[in-house]
Amino acid sequence: MSTSDDQIPMAKSVAKDSSRPMLAADDIHRHFEGMRAVDGVSIDVPPGQITGLIGPNGAGKSTFLAVLAGTLPATSGTIAFDGKDITKLPSYERARRGLVRTFQLPSEFARLTVLENLMVAAPNHRGDSLIGALLGKRYWIEDERRIVAEARTLLKRFGMSAKESDYAGTMSGGQKRLIEIMRALMLHPRCLLLDEPMSGVHPKVIEEIQYYLQSLRADGLTILMVEHELHLVEQLCDSVVVMAQGKVIGSGTMASLRKQQEIVDAYLIG
Amino acid sequence: MNVYYAANLLVYAGVDIIACLALNLMFGVSGIVNFSFIVFQAVGAYSAAILSMPPDTAFGYDFQTYLGGSQLSFPLPWIGGAVAGGLLAIPIGFVVLRKLRADYQAIALLVLSIIANTVVTNATRLFNGAAGLALVPPPFSQQIDPNTENYQYLYVGLTAVCVVLVLIVVARITDSPYGRSLRAMREREVAAMAIGKNPVKLKMITFIVGGVIAGLSGAILVGFIQLWAPSVWLYPETIILFAAVIVGGRGNNVGAILGALLVPVGFEEVTRLMANVALGPPGMIPALEWVAIGLLIIGFLWFRPDGVRPEPRHVFEGAPAVDDT
Repeated sequence: MSTSDDQIPMAKSVAKDSSRPMLAADDIHRHFEGMRAVDGVSIDVPPGQITGLIGPNGAGKSTFLAVLAGTLPATSGTIAFDGKDITKLPSYERARRGLVRTFQLPSEFARLTVLENLMVAAPNHRGDSLIGALLGKRYWIEDERRIVAEARTLLKRFGMSAKESDYAGTMSGGQKRLIEIMRALMLHPRCLLLDEPMSGVHPKVIEEIQYYLQSLRADGLTILMVEHELHLVEQLCDSVVVMAQGKVIGSGTMASLRKQQEIVDAYLIG
Repeated sequence: MNVYYAANLLVYAGVDIIACLALNLMFGVSGIVNFSFIVFQAVGAYSAAILSMPPDTAFGYDFQTYLGGSQLSFPLPWIGGAVAGGLLAIPIGFVVLRKLRADYQAIALLVLSIIANTVVTNATRLFNGAAGLALVPPPFSQQIDPNTENYQYLYVGLTAVCVVLVLIVVARITDSPYGRSLRAMREREVAAMAIGKNPVKLKMITFIVGGVIAGLSGAILVGFIQLWAPSVWLYPETIILFAAVIVGGRGNNVGAILGALLVPVGFEEVTRLMANVALGPPGMIPALEWVAIGLLIIGFLWFRPDGVRPEPRHVFEGAPAVDDT
């Protein structure tokens, strides 16, 4: 399957049951030697929507995201993805099932080129196994061409085509963040967990990411996004969850949250 | 040049090239700091030796003590040596690669190398202890007299075939999408997991493939020198191979070959040529060799960390010109 320049690889799968949350966390705890970074958080992330996760620094948002993605194990609690319990699954298995995260700090593969950073994430590549590799280029070259085309489509969409052969480690902070988002999209995720995707990104590119996230949502992709820029959260997110000191202190639309004095005092002032 | 001397040089070069290609796959491409690499070469050598030797009760061999003794003909001892290297990688990898962080993996593997050497030295019933195994029958020794020039050509040829085969295997891995996954894991393991890569599986497979190749290199060497003892595979031997990969260029197979020729073979030759130079007390030159290897590693890591031949940048057909600014 080749991808034309106008098409963007996107998630095709949505939740099998649209009334069921795509991602459901129930009473999640994550403790670090007595420190309760996440303290009994329960949220439902509805399918096909963008859900914001906001809160002051140290609220436990990124830790919670890491627990959802399997990067950190939960001390207790359960996580269900599209109705199936994934609490015990390692992060790579969750990613294969379509639950893909990005990181708060740039996490590019520095000595791989920008294009390779995207290509390495592509699933179902015949050459991405020892046997496939040993069988030689003829065995996997068609998959490689398809994935190069797919990755180039994304690079073009994000205005990074000219950088495809540069090492990812030489990119700016904003470009690295874009690489990470594109890399996540190469997996054709069903649910994206984005940790401050706009941080350090040029304002023009922020608009591009916004547009792109909206088009992904229109295509049925579920997104849970940690973000500090509240105007972006307001523009993008269908619903918002507020965390403070490891707990959920409120949820709803930004408009409704602004009416809750406790939340305004805790986070929204300023 | 003397044929015997040239054959000696070429076989050692071939063995070092094979070893460096394996270490480059583990360390340069996959980021596994295998400080016990020499153990895999040693187990290949011991296995090939006892597979080709008669039992220790046989006439002429009863001055030494060892397990087994199958007297198999070529190529079974070499295959056995390679398989033994791969098999050894399974339990070691299972213990070391699953839970430990990369730096602790390196320490654990270094300690393992020291323990293995100490055990083989002291457990004399295994492989004749510190004295080691002697009179290892070389391949085709029943058919051709090993002390002839023709046999030297044959052995160099066999070694060259193995070098080519190993190069094809490692090049197919490193130049493939699978190699790309290995490099991604090397760069950032947590991020690789976040895109669906299982680092334990990737490391285990690399460890086993590297172990097979290392075992083969040991089998080739023991068939040529016809003896094998713990003094041949002390842990610093691994450091020499690391120096070769660092100098040649981590992640680059051509660099690994170049490093093998520059460091283990080159140093051996320089030491030999300096043997007649009166420089300090006896043992001074070999000691200086270690100093030089240490300085070489530090110098390259400081001034040219990517080595003589850095890892190649993978540029795809139809890509715009590389922006090096």
